[in-house]
Amino acid sequence: MRNISAIMRRELLSLFCSPIAYIVIAGFLLITGVAVLWTGSFSPGKPASLRDVFFWTPWMLTVIVPAISMRAIAEEYRSGTIESLMTAPVSELQLVLGKYFASLIFYVIMLAPTLVYVVLMEAFGNPDWGASLSSYLGLLLIGVMFTAFGLFASSLTSNQVVAWILGWVPLLLFACLAFFVVGLVQGWVRVVFQQVNVIGRFDEFSRGLVTTDGVVFFLATAALFLFLAVKVVESRRWR
Amino acid sequence: MIEVRNLSKYYGSHRAVNNISFTVNEGEIVGFLGPNGAGKTTTLRIVTCYMPATAGSVTIAGHDVLTESMQVRAVVGYLPESVPLYPEMRVREYLQFRGRLRGLNRANRDAAVARVVERCWLRDVIDRPIGQLSKGYRQRVGLADSLLHNPKVLVLDEPTIGLDPTQIRATRSLIRELAQEHTVILSSHILPEVEATCQRLIIIHEGRLVASGTPDELRQRMTTESNLIAEFKGPESDIGASVRKLAGVADVHTVLQDGWTRVSVAAQRDLREDVFRLAVEKHWPLRELRRDIATLEDFFVKVVTGTREQRDGGEETAAERRNQ
Repeated sequence: MRNISAIMRRELLSLFCSPIAYIVIAGFLLITGVAVLWTGSFSPGKPASLRDVFFWTPWMLTVIVPAISMRAIAEEYRSGTIESLMTAPVSELQLVLGKYFASLIFYVIMLAPTLVYVVLMEAFGNPDWGASLSSYLGLLLIGVMFTAFGLFASSLTSNQVVAWILGWVPLLLFACLAFFVVGLVQGWVRVVFQQVNVIGRFDEFSRGLVTTDGVVFFLATAALFLFLAVKVVESRRWR
Repeated sequence: MIEVRNLSKYYGSHRAVNNISFTVNEGEIVGFLGPNGAGKTTTLRIVTCYMPATAGSVTIAGHDVLTESMQVRAVVGYLPESVPLYPEMRVREYLQFRGRLRGLNRANRDAAVARVVERCWLRDVIDRPIGQLSKGYRQRVGLADSLLHNPKVLVLDEPTIGLDPTQIRATRSLIRELAQEHTVILSSHILPEVEATCQRLIIIHEGRLVASGTPDELRQRMTTESNLIAEFKGPESDIGASVRKLAGVADVHTVLQDGWTRVSVAAQRDLREDVFRLAVEKHWPLRELRRDIATLEDFFVKVVTGTREQRDGGEETAAERRNQ
């Protein structure tokens, strides 16, 4: 536990020492702001809801979350610091979890300023608090899953850019395009796409519908990719 | 303390380490010597649990590196060759972080950081980002890191590479000092380096252990064949012929230099007295007479190349290496 927190704290320190952190946060907030204006969520006569904005958020997150986690493990390989980490009494699981929690905390910090829109909604209208709350729970769960996937991508390579691309391309393909494809296919393919349809699952949350199915999907996927990341880091030793 | 048995490591089909066995006793400083690519770093990485061996076993303080990796890591301090550090962290932050990983609580950590900072002369740079430090300071930060938990065993991979001569001297004396409380194994491709610090040398070449022993033992293996240099004034061919007649002479070279004949003699025994008598007898003035005892450099070159190099050439490479 101490090792996980030590690695997490160091990772957060490094994240906030690098310009990437601020670029990512600024970029995310800028795009969110544009989305708020573009969807006209604050126009007179519109329902006091951020659902239109939240519809677009997962799309942005497929690209942005892997940018947060891309350096986590790849940079350790590149700079060789993995050697001093893996010769200290630290297990691969502790390394991966430490990195994971750091990326996740960063994600929450990035997401927090968007609460200002919820506050504004409250000031100008009468929003559905339950739906807002479940939307944020959904965003958090998306972060839990995407960060795990981004970390897995980062464990595969020593190049940050490669890690980023390995992170967002599959996420975009599977998690988001599934949303469109799911209506076009039949049979077992449709069942599979229904399961991995992150946008569809998140849409439930933004409607205020928190299902066990949805929560378990995000948590289980995260656990799977964290497990794979641990195995990839372990396998580096044998190559 | 360290026991390496029949260690082999393959990278794909490339054999980096080939059936190496050695032991290091408690309190010893052992030098691991070999040319670049001999398998030094690979061996040390296996010893420090960074990678597993293909075959063979390593135990440190009674723990196997593969099955009891965490116990081994707890007693080993390791300075990797490339000295990997986080450039964005300050020296104090980095050492605190490493102390946390070593399982030291706050009070012990502060004490440990203060101790290694003192030991490795880091006080002036403690609040500077590591990325701004010179190579010498980074090396010391790495060394400080490896000393944090007061390990029983110190493994230093090329600890003085990239340092200036003053720093090299300071680091050497630090390592000798450390050996009073720690067992030290250090690698180098520079012979004077290990000769100056280590009690015992292990020479490896192309993954094989080619020689091991104290510097004196290794030197003795060489002194059986020594080299004698003499300079006479006299007819070159006469001198050559007379010296060749002396008992025990293996090989003679003569060179004429501004009227003096320089003779170099390879011999099985000490010929200085005979050569002096010869000069007196023939009335040849003698202006130089010395016997070269083989240096470890020669031994190193010999075991590595498999052939004895010319003495002058050997001296040249020694000088070159020292200049590096």
